[in-house]
Amino acid sequence: MVTIKINGQKVKAEESSTILENAQKLKIDIPTLCHHSDLSPFGACRLCSVEVKTNGKWQLASSCNTPVEEGMEIVTDSKNVYEGRKLAAELLYHKYPTTKAVRDMAEKMGVAVSDGEAEGHDCILCGLCVRTCREIVGVNALTFQDRGPGRDIDEPKIEFDPSRCIGCGSCAYVCPTGYVTMEEEGAKRIIWDKVFTMVSCSVCGKRFAPEDQLRYISRQTGVPFSELSVCVDCR
Amino acid sequence: MNNIAFSSWNGKIVDNRKGKTSTSADIKIPSFPRGGKFSAMMGWNGLVVKNEKADVLSLTLGYLREIRKISCGECSVCMLGIDRLLDILKNIADGKGNASDLTEMQSIVKQVSVNSKCSFGQSALFPVSDAVKHYKADFLAFIKGEKIIAKKEYSSAVTAPCIDACPAGLDIPGYIELIKNNKPLASLDLIRERCILPGVTGRVCTHPCEDACVRKDVDEPIAIRLLKRAASDADLAAGGSVLKAPASEKDEKVAIIGAGPSGLAAAYNLRLMGYGVTIFESLPHAGGMASVGIPDYRLPTDILDHEINLIKRTGVEIKLNAKVDSLSLKELKKEGYAAVFVAVGAHRGNMMGVEGEDAGYDGYIDGVDLLRDLNLGKTIEPKKKVVIVGGGNVALDCARSCARLGFKDVTILYRRSRVEMPASDEEIEGALEEGIAITYLAVPVKILEKDGTVTGVECIKMKLGKPDESGRKRPVPVKGSEYTLKTDVVVAAIGQKPVLPLSKGKEKIDVTPWGTIKTDPLTLMTNVAGVFAGGDCVTGPATLIEALDMGNRVARSIDAFIAGRDMADEISFAEVDLKKQRDRGFVVNEPAKEVECMAVKKRLEGFDEIEGSFGTVLAMEEASRCLRCYRVVVWE
Repeated sequence: MVTIKINGQKVKAEESSTILENAQKLKIDIPTLCHHSDLSPFGACRLCSVEVKTNGKWQLASSCNTPVEEGMEIVTDSKNVYEGRKLAAELLYHKYPTTKAVRDMAEKMGVAVSDGEAEGHDCILCGLCVRTCREIVGVNALTFQDRGPGRDIDEPKIEFDPSRCIGCGSCAYVCPTGYVTMEEEGAKRIIWDKVFTMVSCSVCGKRFAPEDQLRYISRQTGVPFSELSVCVDCR
Repeated sequence: MNNIAFSSWNGKIVDNRKGKTSTSADIKIPSFPRGGKFSAMMGWNGLVVKNEKADVLSLTLGYLREIRKISCGECSVCMLGIDRLLDILKNIADGKGNASDLTEMQSIVKQVSVNSKCSFGQSALFPVSDAVKHYKADFLAFIKGEKIIAKKEYSSAVTAPCIDACPAGLDIPGYIELIKNNKPLASLDLIRERCILPGVTGRVCTHPCEDACVRKDVDEPIAIRLLKRAASDADLAAGGSVLKAPASEKDEKVAIIGAGPSGLAAAYNLRLMGYGVTIFESLPHAGGMASVGIPDYRLPTDILDHEINLIKRTGVEIKLNAKVDSLSLKELKKEGYAAVFVAVGAHRGNMMGVEGEDAGYDGYIDGVDLLRDLNLGKTIEPKKKVVIVGGGNVALDCARSCARLGFKDVTILYRRSRVEMPASDEEIEGALEEGIAITYLAVPVKILEKDGTVTGVECIKMKLGKPDESGRKRPVPVKGSEYTLKTDVVVAAIGQKPVLPLSKGKEKIDVTPWGTIKTDPLTLMTNVAGVFAGGDCVTGPATLIEALDMGNRVARSIDAFIAGRDMADEISFAEVDLKKQRDRGFVVNEPAKEVECMAVKKRLEGFDEIEGSFGTVLAMEEASRCLRCYRVVVWE
């Protein structure tokens, strides 16, 4: 355990826990867009910024991916913190004005937003789908597009590798803006434009999982594919 | 630097616009091509204006457009902030702005700088703030519609501390980002654009990039070398990809003498341009010093062979056991070669200047000869004790090889102290772990023998005097401190020089007093037109990556020579401290990931590779530590 100071309050914190985790324990509200407690922290949205004292200097740090250290001093409610979060929200709002999750966040951060219908479903590059696919599903069908010298890409996006995708739908589930969609039509499921064939439960007949996903589970676990044809409810 | 109207470089303001007389400023900025001429420039650390008529708003727009290409979009503030600045500035340029825009711009610059995730976002926007602050009247003139935007196109360049420190200028943050994004094969493609031996350099490169890494000042540098190896290992694990083939064929052929890193790099790059390439290699194995100078425990032969085979598969012909004794381009032209690249390396050990060293005693061997014999499969019988003289990587490789061969007592004799030792830290630490003794501040003065067989060395102790021309303290003998060291074998490893092919008459190639070939630093051409040289035979014994870089460069130069073009010089950042940035935001403390190494006892049982590899997950985690310190500059 280490001792840290949040907003003047001395508390014990577990080693290698993050600032965000400790703040949440203390019921301190810190906004997040790209954070999910089951996934590795990413530090993309910059909305969870707090001030941390390092080498005698107060600096903004993203609380989701900054581990606590002995004696660390943290402030979550200063003018600098609010300004930083507000500008991050404002920039996101400028870019994705009609996407609900972004607009709600901007409004919460004190940005003046329009009150029309928020019907956009933009990808805000939060990386939740990429991390879910890699860390939870273990499939790596989604990656960030690379940027850098000689790769002049106007709008970076998430790249989809159809040969890897098993159609599990976790990315659509975790996506905060509705950009990733999953549609089901009869025996077909469509994700990222890839069409999957759904398997029907051999007991109840209900379509319960894409064939590719069951084949993946079979490969991973060594359980024969034929034994995976019963849905969770009937097992 | 003279005639500056305004500069904010490194945050230091020099303003001569109103006839102020801070006459010249010592400003270390990049040196631009074509004699360094420019009228205005904007880069990561500031803005420098020479010509007062330069349109700073247009320059700022040009700069923002270039940094937008480098901003990765991963953290929201950097790319979106640049987008917003571009929108505001385009509006102002179109006469549709208003004065509050300037306040908003400053606020965006400030927040992006303090809230970005990586070094790039934290450093890129300072010059924009300088422009708005110090050229406010100009910006207001646009807002009032009194000015019309001037130029639209600027030259631009991108570098980073690591890129500039790498002799071959690899896009290091770029290939690290691809590894982080779980695309090791795309990463390898990017590496191969400037380094055709990724598996080799991923193991043995001296990685000056890591010394230049900004992260070194935070916690530990990124393990760049091991990440390059990770990309290469991932490729091998996936079955191994082939190299890009030439798009079209050219009629001309180029001869290369020496299949070392320099020759191989030149060969592949020339082949990619469509030239026919033949390499003449004197040894029975290609690879040069990478093959016969580096033991297997650091660089397994199959890794090198795989990379050489890939080069051969693109159509490069390698003739082994084909020593070129005399060199004449005239003769080679008869065989259809339009140019020749001499890359014979430096394979002859230097003499120590010690009594008995040239007497041919049994038990006396030169370091490079020992390593060559070992790598070419010759059996070397271990004796009880060996003394290795020297402090470079060859000395260390000899010592560690002897320990593996079964010598019971291995001692290195070095004339200076540990600080001055040129061998890499990894090698020195590895040797010490393996029980090798290092005696500092001593040199041999005489080889002792009985009946033509080495029995020992007479040594003298040294002390360090004033620094010599290399900047290292000069070792001076301590009078009367002679002593005798008993040993069965003495290995001399105090540097190498090239053995050059003969050249005669009008085709005689100029050499330096050190026996290396003289070349033009830009074109790498010798005094004989069409004859080029590079690698250790030009630089003297240097690093693998330096030799490889000369191979890359000579390919462009030979192409220009054959096509009758001049080689264009490039922007240089040599004078600039690229690590320096105006301010640095918060960086999470996170030490480098480590790979597993073989236990010492097992190491000494043979020549198996001792260093392990990052797996996919560790490589991605290590790659995530990169601060992406890209530095962008635009100029006119």
